[in-house]
Amino acid sequence: MSPVRRSHLVRWISITALVVGGVVVGVVATLPPASYTEVYSPLLGKEAPSVKGPTLTGSTFDLSSLRGRWVLLDFFASWCGPCQQEGSSLAAFARQHPTGSGVSLVGVVFDDTTANARRFLAQTGGNWPAVVDPNGQIALDYGVRGPPEAFIISPEGVVVTHVDGAVTDAGFKSLLSEAEKDV
Amino acid sequence: MSPRTKWVVWAVLGAVLAVALTVGASRPGAPRTDAQKAASIDASLRCPSCDGVSVLDSSASTAVAIRSVVATRVREGQTTTEIESFLESRYGEGILLRPPVSGSSATLWVLPLVGLCTAGVILGLVVWRRGHLARVEVSQEDRALVEEALRGKRAGIEPELRTDPHAGSASGPGVDGSDDANRAGGNTESQRLHV
Repeated sequence: MSPVRRSHLVRWISITALVVGGVVVGVVATLPPASYTEVYSPLLGKEAPSVKGPTLTGSTFDLSSLRGRWVLLDFFASWCGPCQQEGSSLAAFARQHPTGSGVSLVGVVFDDTTANARRFLAQTGGNWPAVVDPNGQIALDYGVRGPPEAFIISPEGVVVTHVDGAVTDAGFKSLLSEAEKDV
Repeated sequence: MSPRTKWVVWAVLGAVLAVALTVGASRPGAPRTDAQKAASIDASLRCPSCDGVSVLDSSASTAVAIRSVVATRVREGQTTTEIESFLESRYGEGILLRPPVSGSSATLWVLPLVGLCTAGVILGLVVWRRGHLARVEVSQEDRALVEEALRGKRAGIEPELRTDPHAGSASGPGVDGSDDANRAGGNTESQRLHV
């Protein structure tokens, strides 16, 4: 190949690479930010670890009492920004799935004081059980790295979905219906 | 001492050193306390909420919880492997600061070595080629061609300069090497002489 042809080819390849790179950057930069993602967990397909302990209202909670129902287990904290975004979605979800609907929402307090967690739940309008986890053992059992993280547990007590990030009301519905279809 | 003997001696010394270091590093030390064992395990675990920090060094609540679990399990007599397996069953392989040398993680260990070996081979080839090219002998035929081209070039330049003393040393077609080479018929030869 002559030097002239080679330089033409290099120029065209450079221009093409720049254009393609620019298009990719433009598309990625204008994509709406992802609010939540389904992420891998070693617990997927396995029996859900036990969640047992006192709740913010002083009662005692045991996850095994919810066998036979779908459970949305949500790890949250009052200091967590995305948790605050997610709060109203969780409240809407809870309203749409009252007691006896076959779907239960359960919260777990992640690295937060009881007072702050109670205030946060009250501001959100939450009336679902929120289990206190002072030593972080429940979070460790679920492999939680930081809130908000949520797990969907089947009526058989198996973890079917793990979600990282703030989930919208529509997101919760979609995740639940997908989980129901897969089981 | 011949170069080959020197290489052999250095290779043997290197092998002895490698074996000594390996044996020394793998020898079990004095029995450790539970706290030391736990700290050693904590140092090998990645803090789940942090970036590149070990559980031992992190003050995050997740790290605190893991240290507590590790300490409890060490006191119960569990081995390092059992404790690591438990944490992997919760957080995945990423909880280990040093991924295991098995399965899909094996590529993390193998790829850098492959990359290093490939780079070494390429470098060796480049060095060998350059050395090999430098040792190419110029044949008598090539020498004759060079002399002929130079003669032709000198013959092409000098008459032009003599006939036009006012043209200046840097101007005129006589100074253009390629024109002279063409006039002398040496263009092809000079191209051939670029070794």
